[in-house]
Amino acid sequence: MKPAAFDYHAPATAEEAVALISELGDEAKFIAGGQSLMPMLNLRLAVFEHLVDLRRVQTLRGIEVRGDSVWIGAGTTHSTVGRSEQIRTAVPLLSRATPLIGHFQIRNRGTIGGSIAHADGAGEYPAVALTLDAEIETLSPGGTRTIPASQFFTGMWSTDLAEDELITGITFPVAPARSGYAIEEFTRRSGDFAVAGALVALTLAEDSTIERCAITTFGLGPTATRATVVEQALTGGAVAEQDPEMVARDVLAGVESISEDLHGPVEYRKRVGTAMVARAWQRAVEEATHG
Amino acid sequence: MSVTPAVPSCYVGTRVPRVEDPRLLTGAGLFVDDVTRPGMFHACFVRSPIPRGRIFSIDTSEAEALDGVHAVFVASDLNPRVHEQKYALDGPFMPSLNWPPLAEDEVRFVGDPVALVIARDRYIAEDAAELVAVDYDALTPVVDYATADTNEELVHAQFPGNNAGGMAIPPSEDLLRIFDEAPHVVSRTIHQQAYIAVPMETRGLVAEWTKSTGEMTIWASTQSPHEVRAFCAKLLGIDEHRVRVLMRDTGGGFGQKVVPQREDICIMLAATMLPFAVKWIEDRQEHMMSAGMARQEHGEARMAFDADGRILAATLDHVQNVGAYPIPSPITAASAVGMLFPGPYRIPAATFSLKLHYTNTVGRVAYRGPWQYESMAREVLLDSAARRIGLDPAELRRRNMYSSDEFPVAAPTGMPFSDVTPRETFEQALAMLDYDAFRREQEQARAESRYIGVGTCTYLEPTAGATPFHSTEGATIRIEPSGKVNVYVAGGSSGNSLETTVVQLTADALGVALSDVNTIQGDTAVSPFGAGTGGSRSGAMTAGAVGETASVLRERILAIAAHRLEAAPEDIELAESRATVRGVPGAGLSLQEIADIAYFQTETLPPGVPPGLEASGRYRAENMMIWANATHLCTVEVDIATGAVKFLRYIVSEDCGPMINPNVVEGQIWGGTVQGIGGALYEHLAYDETGNPVTTTFMDYLLPTTTEVPDIELGHIETPSPGPGGHKGVGEGGAIGSSPAVVNAVADALSPFGVEITRLPLTPSTIVSMIEQARTVTA
Repeated sequence: MKPAAFDYHAPATAEEAVALISELGDEAKFIAGGQSLMPMLNLRLAVFEHLVDLRRVQTLRGIEVRGDSVWIGAGTTHSTVGRSEQIRTAVPLLSRATPLIGHFQIRNRGTIGGSIAHADGAGEYPAVALTLDAEIETLSPGGTRTIPASQFFTGMWSTDLAEDELITGITFPVAPARSGYAIEEFTRRSGDFAVAGALVALTLAEDSTIERCAITTFGLGPTATRATVVEQALTGGAVAEQDPEMVARDVLAGVESISEDLHGPVEYRKRVGTAMVARAWQRAVEEATHG
Repeated sequence: MSVTPAVPSCYVGTRVPRVEDPRLLTGAGLFVDDVTRPGMFHACFVRSPIPRGRIFSIDTSEAEALDGVHAVFVASDLNPRVHEQKYALDGPFMPSLNWPPLAEDEVRFVGDPVALVIARDRYIAEDAAELVAVDYDALTPVVDYATADTNEELVHAQFPGNNAGGMAIPPSEDLLRIFDEAPHVVSRTIHQQAYIAVPMETRGLVAEWTKSTGEMTIWASTQSPHEVRAFCAKLLGIDEHRVRVLMRDTGGGFGQKVVPQREDICIMLAATMLPFAVKWIEDRQEHMMSAGMARQEHGEARMAFDADGRILAATLDHVQNVGAYPIPSPITAASAVGMLFPGPYRIPAATFSLKLHYTNTVGRVAYRGPWQYESMAREVLLDSAARRIGLDPAELRRRNMYSSDEFPVAAPTGMPFSDVTPRETFEQALAMLDYDAFRREQEQARAESRYIGVGTCTYLEPTAGATPFHSTEGATIRIEPSGKVNVYVAGGSSGNSLETTVVQLTADALGVALSDVNTIQGDTAVSPFGAGTGGSRSGAMTAGAVGETASVLRERILAIAAHRLEAAPEDIELAESRATVRGVPGAGLSLQEIADIAYFQTETLPPGVPPGLEASGRYRAENMMIWANATHLCTVEVDIATGAVKFLRYIVSEDCGPMINPNVVEGQIWGGTVQGIGGALYEHLAYDETGNPVTTTFMDYLLPTTTEVPDIELGHIETPSPGPGGHKGVGEGGAIGSSPAVVNAVADALSPFGVEITRLPLTPSTIVSMIEQARTVTA
């Protein structure tokens, strides 16, 4: 379990980093916290001739409230996100998702940009980004661009990022009033990859009808999935009239390509997914209604 | 003879802090990977990627050409150098297994070592291993052990029917008649999955051959340095005193490290051809593929009951997977399953059969309580029977379980049970829970569609068994001229706190202060022969060894003190490193002063007392085994939506006799219990149907962690054994009693659905599917 030899680069700026990766080509890979990449290198499931380490790039780190959105530098660690008072009040769903990521040692090293770039179908941060319609800022030799989360995740471990494109930051909208947020996931053990997980973000109008709702399942297939059809059907309806079990069943009916694995067959994961959606819905409704 | 001297216990029985802890807790332990030798090289094995196949060719040229590679060995380089393969543990009557160190013409499981790379560092060794080109002709593997006996494919051509041994005591006509006529007959088959020891330190060793003197030095990760030495000497055909084995810390063994395995053998053989030391430290992926498997077995257990639920007879038909290369011979532990099956219950008649099957999976190795299936089969059956007969499972057990005053008892399978307290531990565990209150709570919970359950397991466990290899233990004690005490025992502590134990025992046996005692273990050049840790033997056996040796020195100390203090030896009291005269305040000598007399003022020694304060002694076990017992009890809640199992309480009531150190006892029970919880709910060394291992990292092989394990509450009953100090073994029991208790608790929680558990582990998805199936059947 030793990685094959590689050359190590540690540029000081984001511009240098993308210039390097562009020059080195597809034998090179960015490394941030290394919490997914290092095990793959050690098991020799992945081999790169060059690693471009992002840890010296200061501009990739930080948390800033910018009007009605919050910018988080891609190199900010999970534990920094999890400890941030600003995020707890402005983006509560992100705060609540953080303790579910791996173990504290992993959260001390892993970064939000790394998690989103890795795009694991069971990853918590990709699912949060999708649920909250976050925007992903990138830099490449061609310049910067902003990618909506809904267009970013294209498959298991695959994204819209070009080979020489680096995530610099992620922007989340600040939570409006009369909102409720919940994440529920089922894991075999604390810190494991989710067998099935669900997120619900809900904003109510003055008359307790549903103004905005987002329901995401994750851990079931190659990417997290928004239940857009169900969301549209629910929007405008009275929140009190929705049966959580029915909502959950409708959501899961729309989730495709659920995969079987060691932890259970498709039917089982569907069942757990249903339970997670129902529980998340109930908690989000409770918070949106009563604060 | 009884060697326990009539001295007051100052330290035995108390929570003395572990003497190992300062170095281990500050990261200063010395494990195999901490050992560095000048110019040392590193080893990496090339392993089979297929479960079964013929080796056509092996091309090592590209690997050998890599910069930093010293050699690549294949079977024809190493295997002919074997002189003899013989484990002392197997005793004189067990045939040697003689497995090939490296695979010769055929590979027999994924992970089978095929070639050995020796390189400057482990990175290069792994690079080179990837460059060794092995051409295989794949053969159809034998994967399912249960049907291996009728499979036409053979794991080993010399073993038709993939038969790895077995035994059977055919049921007598009387026994058959009991089953025919009994008011209740209950039968259950439960399939237990393969799971493994998973020590924190993987296997490994450093071997250094000194050509000029023909001497081998080995730094080993082992439970038994003397077994490694004896084995290596026979393997190489050299005198035993030319092999020195050293170990300071071993990061867990649990039976897996009782004997050298095939990789260890390869390293020993290769070292004799190398001009430098070589280190092999297994990585976790190799460990999960090739360090050995345990627990995979099933059996049909049957019991006949009278109308009141009294057991009339019991049988067990038991089948075990031993994989491709079991090490050591699995037959002894496997036959113990059937022999121990009656357990702590009044069972007038019983019999069993046993079959061991080879498969193309990793070989079976010893694992903490290797006969554990006896408890699983019996205790799950009893809960099933209680549901069938309509009795509370505690009440069914009360009608059948022995109390301490009924022993000794000969089980119908011949086991001579004695000095145990099954009913007492059972009642203590039920009382700690408040069993009746739990049953009321359960009724209320069910009314709210919450599913909680309670399960128990009570077992009798043979410890400190006096097999030829295990039947003695030696100790050498040197009281140095300064009065400080060094105690030498064989060692093999792999987290068992053996240093603390020896220090405590010696301090009491000699009447010296604990801080004056040091122990030296794990170096075959200086320590007396001993079998190491295993078989829950170290507490009782080292108490015997230390007692035997200390009694000689104690007598000498008393004689010297009495002579100098002009008192009778029987009036001398020895405590805290000081000899005083009873009733004469102020008259006394320190141990340092006595040592000074013994070494430097020898002309003043009393007549007949030899100079110096050094002695060796050897204790021989007086009992075939020492019985220990315990009851595990736990309560769980099952979330029927997800199948998740949450522990509510976990209780163990045990009787290991007088405890030498409650901290050590508790640690042993807690650790074993966690392994059993893993076996019931989480751990599964799984193969797919084509024979590929699918759990080769900790992402897939799930160990219970601190977030999954409940507080484990302990109750103690201390009844002495007939052995030294009355101590009984406590190392293995936790891993025996826990999994059946967990299985029974889950079954109890799900009993409203009519669920009967037949397959382990109880993963959330299997729990959900059992509920669904039971509902379908009911509907």
